Amino acid sequence: MAEEHLDDVYRYLLYMTANPHLAEDLAAETFERALRRWRRFDPRRGAARTWLCQLARGAALDHFRADRRRRRREGVYASDIPETDEPVFGEGLSPDLDRAVRSLSAAEREVVVLRVVLELDGETTAKVLGIRPTAVSTRLSRALQKLEERMVSDVRG
Amino acid sequence: MSEASFETVLSQLRDAAPPAPERLRDQVRTLQPAQSRIRAWLRPALVAALIVTLSVGTLAALVSGPDKARREQSSARAFRPQIPAPERQTDRATHGGVAPTLTAKSRLQRQDVAMSLRVHDLSGATQSAVRTTRRLGGFVAGADYATSSNEGNSRLAVRIPVANLQKAIASFTQLGTILSQHISVTDLQTGLDRLDARIATARRAGHHRTVKRLARRRDALVREGTFARVSLQLTTAKPAAKHVVPGRFDRFLDSSGDILGKEVIAVLYALVVAGPFLLIAALLLFAERTRRRRADHRLLEETG
Repeated sequence: MAEEHLDDVYRYLLYMTANPHLAEDLAAETFERALRRWRRFDPRRGAARTWLCQLARGAALDHFRADRRRRRREGVYASDIPETDEPVFGEGLSPDLDRAVRSLSAAEREVVVLRVVLELDGETTAKVLGIRPTAVSTRLSRALQKLEERMVSDVRG
Repeated sequence: MSEASFETVLSQLRDAAPPAPERLRDQVRTLQPAQSRIRAWLRPALVAALIVTLSVGTLAALVSGPDKARREQSSARAFRPQIPAPERQTDRATHGGVAPTLTAKSRLQRQDVAMSLRVHDLSGATQSAVRTTRRLGGFVAGADYATSSNEGNSRLAVRIPVANLQKAIASFTQLGTILSQHISVTDLQTGLDRLDARIATARRAGHHRTVKRLARRRDALVREGTFARVSLQLTTAKPAAKHVVPGRFDRFLDSSGDILGKEVIAVLYALVVAGPFLLIAALLLFAERTRRRRADHRLLEETG
């Protein structure tokens, strides 16, 4: 199961964090959690991919919370996302598109990766995010609109 | 940007999404399922706890079953008329003999007997009781006879010479089934001796009027000791349904039902008491989850 869904989990975390190294760490953490909590998994409540995405989300949120506390404690307000020209979201992606995706918030990238990249349906995405399917549609629509605007402004710029 | 070109962008996102690095793949392959120490013993412990609970419940039901039956039997006894010791002795007489002799023939005693009998023929039994009384040298001091569509009652107050009292009781017991019997004996000899002493003193002192007055009292006392008062109550009323001692299985079912009923009451009580707190806890939990979800979303919104 780990082999089967590893790519999806990694992609999800890559979009969440916009950081390949962090995504790697969090993916490993996710699968450790999955092995610890394997007995709790109930296939009747959802597919394994959905459950793993929920675990990955939890791992990412834990990291973000810890990171925010650390930054507050250290008085650092800058983001840790490395400013690089290398494509983060895939080798074949145009730099403009990669930059546009990176400019989105984690919340926006999250819904994009779930609905567009992983091609989860609205209901499953809603289950992962813990919201209603209509809210998923709204979030996705706003995220894509923003992505489009960023790309248009990049092209014009 | 046109819709078609944006679709191309989304396809590009989908196609360009990188696979997990080999390093991560190797790392995940090496992960072993962690055997939780808690989980290893939790399931057997739960099963053991369930078995113990069921065993204790069954045992309690079995133990409380015979106890309850005993309590029911004792309570049944308690509902029987509370009769004094002499009456219990005569109760035995119901099944095959006459009431025991409680009197001392050398002393003057007043004897009171109260009998209650269930008879089939009220009229015949009443007449028979009257005839027996007269035959034994007694007389009827009072009678009360009443019948209705369902049942009839007859009450006789008779006086029987103490010498024939045992014969009278034996005859009366033949009239029907004894429901209750009460015999009381009061010693009059002390009072008689005292009166005799006073009469002798008055006679010696020449107080004739006092002697006469005391002599009348003495005669009355002797009469009281000569005739026993018998109160006879005859009835045709059916007895109450006989108390049936339930069988072992019935007792077990009964006890189990009792225990389950008590458990249901306890659960309902706990729900009624804890209900508002549970509701508040559920609301707090719901509010906390909503707050956490919003906080998470805010955190992701703030995260670039």
